[in-house]
Amino acid sequence: MANSLNLPSDFKLSSPKTWFRAATAVNSTVLLGRKHLYILPTRFGWLYSLLLVGLLVGSINYSLSLGFAMTFLLAGLGTISMLHTWRNLAYLKITFRRAKPVFAGEIAQFELVVANENNFARYNIFASFTGGESDVQDIAALGENSFKLSLISQKRGWLSAPRVRFSTEFPVSLFHVWAYAETKSQCLIYPNPGLPSQRLPSADADGASGQLSSSQGDEDFAGHRHYQFGDSPKRVDWKASSREQGLLVKQFQGEATSTLWLDFNATTGSNLEQRISQLTRWVLEADKQALKYGLRLPQQSIQPSTGRNHYHQCLTALAIM
Amino acid sequence: MTSQLKLQPNQFTIHWLLISLGITFTLFLFHLSNWVPASFAVFALWRYLIAKNNWPYPKLWLRLPLTFAGGITVLVTYGSLFGRDASVALLAVMIAMKLLETRTKRDFIVMVLLSYFFTVNILLFTQAIWVCLAILFALFGLTACLISASRQSASSKHPATWRVEAKLAGKLLMQATPIMLVLFVLFPRIPGPIWGIPQDAYRGMSGLSDSMEPGSINQLSLSSKVAFRAEFKSTIPANNQLYWRGPVLWHQEGRRWTMTSDKINLPTESLETFGETSNYIITLEPHNRNWLLMLDLQDTNPPDTLPEDATIKHDRQVVSKQPVRTRIRYEGRAYLQYKLASKLGDHERSLALQLIEDENPKTRQLANTWVNQQKSHVEIIQAALIMFRDQPFIYTLAPPLLGNQPVDDFLFNTKRGFCEHYASSFVYLMRAAGVPARIVTGYQGGELNPSGNYLIIRQSDAHAWAEVWLQDQGWVRVDPTSAVAPSRIESGISTALSDSDLLPLLSRQDYPMLKKLYLNWDAVNNGWNQWVLGYDQQKQLALLKSLLHRDIAWADIGLILMAVIIVLMLLISYILLRNTVVITDPVKKAYLKFLKKLSHVGVNKFQHEGVIDFGKRAAQQLPKHSSEIEVISALYSSIQYAKPTTTKTKENRIDNHAALQLLKQLIKKLTLT
Amino acid sequence: MKNITDEIIAKANEIILGKELQIKLALACLLAKGHLLIEDLPGMGKTTLAHTLAQVLGLQFQRVQFTSDLLPADVLGVSVYDRNTANFKFHPGPVFTNVLLADEINRATPKTQSALLEVMEEAQVTIDASTYALPQPFFVIATQNPSSQIGTFALPESQLDRFLMRITLNYPDTASERKLLQSNGGRDQLKKISAAIDHKQLQSLQTASQEIYVSDSLLDYLQGILQYSRQSSHFNAGLSPRAGLGLKQSAQAWAMLAGRDHVIPEDVQAILPSVAGHRLVSNSTFSSNSEHIAQLLKAVAV
Repeated sequence: MANSLNLPSDFKLSSPKTWFRAATAVNSTVLLGRKHLYILPTRFGWLYSLLLVGLLVGSINYSLSLGFAMTFLLAGLGTISMLHTWRNLAYLKITFRRAKPVFAGEIAQFELVVANENNFARYNIFASFTGGESDVQDIAALGENSFKLSLISQKRGWLSAPRVRFSTEFPVSLFHVWAYAETKSQCLIYPNPGLPSQRLPSADADGASGQLSSSQGDEDFAGHRHYQFGDSPKRVDWKASSREQGLLVKQFQGEATSTLWLDFNATTGSNLEQRISQLTRWVLEADKQALKYGLRLPQQSIQPSTGRNHYHQCLTALAIM
Repeated sequence: MTSQLKLQPNQFTIHWLLISLGITFTLFLFHLSNWVPASFAVFALWRYLIAKNNWPYPKLWLRLPLTFAGGITVLVTYGSLFGRDASVALLAVMIAMKLLETRTKRDFIVMVLLSYFFTVNILLFTQAIWVCLAILFALFGLTACLISASRQSASSKHPATWRVEAKLAGKLLMQATPIMLVLFVLFPRIPGPIWGIPQDAYRGMSGLSDSMEPGSINQLSLSSKVAFRAEFKSTIPANNQLYWRGPVLWHQEGRRWTMTSDKINLPTESLETFGETSNYIITLEPHNRNWLLMLDLQDTNPPDTLPEDATIKHDRQVVSKQPVRTRIRYEGRAYLQYKLASKLGDHERSLALQLIEDENPKTRQLANTWVNQQKSHVEIIQAALIMFRDQPFIYTLAPPLLGNQPVDDFLFNTKRGFCEHYASSFVYLMRAAGVPARIVTGYQGGELNPSGNYLIIRQSDAHAWAEVWLQDQGWVRVDPTSAVAPSRIESGISTALSDSDLLPLLSRQDYPMLKKLYLNWDAVNNGWNQWVLGYDQQKQLALLKSLLHRDIAWADIGLILMAVIIVLMLLISYILLRNTVVITDPVKKAYLKFLKKLSHVGVNKFQHEGVIDFGKRAAQQLPKHSSEIEVISALYSSIQYAKPTTTKTKENRIDNHAALQLLKQLIKKLTLT
Repeated sequence: MKNITDEIIAKANEIILGKELQIKLALACLLAKGHLLIEDLPGMGKTTLAHTLAQVLGLQFQRVQFTSDLLPADVLGVSVYDRNTANFKFHPGPVFTNVLLADEINRATPKTQSALLEVMEEAQVTIDASTYALPQPFFVIATQNPSSQIGTFALPESQLDRFLMRITLNYPDTASERKLLQSNGGRDQLKKISAAIDHKQLQSLQTASQEIYVSDSLLDYLQGILQYSRQSSHFNAGLSPRAGLGLKQSAQAWAMLAGRDHVIPEDVQAILPSVAGHRLVSNSTFSSNSEHIAQLLKAVAV
């Protein structure tokens, strides 16, 4: 699943413009305050002011009193719209939702919840990572809405969200207001799993992995499970397998499941990343087959267990190793 | 961002645009060639159908020739692509055609901005009140369109509703109004023009011309357009004294009378004045001529009693240096009793006796008989007036055409004419009899508007009369029309004409209700003209002077403007931009007051802290007030979280309203030390 | 009603010294019709607490020691062929009781664990297509040794969600410990203690607890907490809707124990660590879960 996405090899995020002050998180909430908002006319704004100058000159030239009045009304409109544009972005409260961990190469999706605590609605708010795709939302008065921003992950470990650029040109597109929000949001990037062909170490074999049984009893038949590569032929229930499709292995009470040790030293890659990659693939496979597995890394080892939590724990350990 | 600009707007956007442009083009209907608004109607309908039925937009091969054809048609209609009318027409046509390629957000925004510009251009043609209102509607629609277009975005889940857009557009315009007013009043007014104004700019302004021939004034009399308005500071003189002096015509040439050439340099006629002055202010409608209408006879002693930029001609006609192209206001001071030109120079005398030879033999013969009878000049004048009075002369707006000998034809044949017929034939007679005479054109009378206590003088009040020079008396006004139709001079043109004459509706005596309504409307209009349209540098300075009680230099206006605008902007910004987190709940409001009081003495509630917990902590810190604090906390907590009491249990529990009142009281009473 | 609950707490306090908070939490859990998980080291008085509660409330009590060889049938019961009647006869297991103490639940295999947890959810046992209803009230108190002990099967998070509360007992304070040492331990006194209420009273207490008023303002606060737990980057997964419901019910019970007819935010704050602690999985390995819950409480405005 990870390799289905083709990344341009030269992909790089442009560095954020540091001369703009960014709003930072207080109590995990970012408030777009007065100090963080910047405003400039758009090119429509410039065109508008040009037209106003034209109208003013015309009014002077033809001594059109009402021409003055209308020119000034439009000038007032432009000025007021500047305030409204500013107001459309100001005082928004941004909270980052936790980003779900992804595998390296996949798209990390950061979700921002933007709350509007004022009693006027906000329209056409853009949010984007610098240089990235933007998301547009409206936010109702006293309401909130969420923006989804994506970032392509490259390598394992913590991926920090770059500063987010919020902007708007509502209501009349004459002004562009923007602000940067600095967040400490991070997304955990699991290592890129190697190719699926790298098979799981055998539960019975020595060296590469070892079997650990809590109680080595064969006494109490508990049920069947599907055959996995490396299961002892003695355990295959041939009778049952002939009735069902595929091989079935007998399981006994007290054994629970076969216990795998996924050992860093058993991997064959030429460098660290390849080895981690292989371990990741093994964790995926083991989890898919619902095996009980443990992880043994140079500085850390995780006791064998099953379940989503354990799965994420193992992948986290691999990601930040 | 750029991809956002390519988005297709919703249906409301195009509706807003079409409606507002519809208003604008309707206004232009009276001022541009008919085919311009017509072409807009066609393109607007086309664009509407495109939006409604999802028709394809016309391709470039269709649009390009259309644009070209539009340009050519303007060129053919107006003879040029420049000049006021032609350039506005070109802009109109281009906007109408651009409708067909207005599809994306960017197109709409550019279109709206151009339409703002175009809409204001109507003011080049008219500045009436109702036009102003219509413009405001158009600007409102355009603003709504701009908001609608700006709202388009890929993921806008809320359907754009026209109500939101209309509300916001109204709000923006309302909030822009104070800025507009301040700028309007305080923006330093530079008297224009900065550069030359196209020749065609003042077409359609009507007024007295520099020459007169039979029919020229009665043409003018068909118009009920206001020529000028006059406010008197003292009592208004009687109607028969209200002669408003315009061009003085000396030179006769066939049926045509013209002014003396500017090249002739004659001394200004002397003036002796008697009696009271009459002071008044005139608001003159633009007529694209130099003359300033003045009540007979303007005082020139000292010379600065004349309006600014005005000079006086030798025959006491007041003219401005520039043609009157905007509504102007000036003061006048007239003496109703005067003696003009006690001596007549040779040159003047020859000018005042000039006649083309060998014309109108019958008239000359009549004049000769009076001369041969040894009559004095005064007797000759009287003889002429008696002739007008006693013979069946008729005063009418529809005189018959005159033949090759116009004065003969009129005096001896048709005997039906308007003021210019009487004035010109009278002067002709006088000159033929050797009495120096000249024609004065101008306006006579005026209608009192009781709503504003001023006189309205219309084009239909245009008049022509004669002046004859008499030894010892100077130039004396003789109005031959008064001999024919005395009521014309006594009470106005409408009484002097029979009903069959086609006088403009508003100058007639019937329909008193309509007339009253009209007079009220005219009072409004006059105020509009005085204070809005006529607001210029002079008025600006006068207003500031009266507000600040001191003279203001023109350059200081800029400073005042800056100061006022800054204060205004700060005020508006404060109102709009402060962070108002609304608390509508009165209970919470009261509790916040309580928290404020506590925080003054250094006890602050954490946001996560429960009300009761905080109450306990605060009570510990302020043992003196512990009971009050705990009661308030418990009361607030129970209002906020307890079940609202039903009527059944009213006896043993206070209801929420009473609880709130109690809470407010307790908090109010709480004084922390 | 306050008198009754006070009496219960007072009686339990006599046996389990210095653990009033835990007793109240356990009682609140029971009044909210939830199951309780006690997590602590052996010998801290878990069993005593469970036993005392059952005794004071006048409930039938059964204890099952979970081991790795315990089968589902050992807990639920089994159908045995009766030769006399030529029929299968159902022999109910220890689960057919009011209070079931599942001691060291993490020692049993996942299969047995899940069998018990299903019963907890449904309050009935289904064996061989026959359904047997459990007596009411039914209340499971499971104890668990803190994990990372070899040879245990830690309850997966999906199962943990079935417990309304998780509490820890911790070491007693010095005064209580001295008192404990002076006596012969609570177990002897257990026999002397009499029931404070009967079944009916207990059920009416449970009903009353559900009727404790929850205002809109309080729901705002509750939702704030749920919202924050889902947004915060401190947790792997936010609180589920079931957890939210549990929070509300526990807070209601807690308010009732305090003798109030409505819930206030302080009630929620009191029970939150117990209700949310085992459902929120902290993201980082560096700081403990309780710190994160404290943070959560701080971040949400009342």
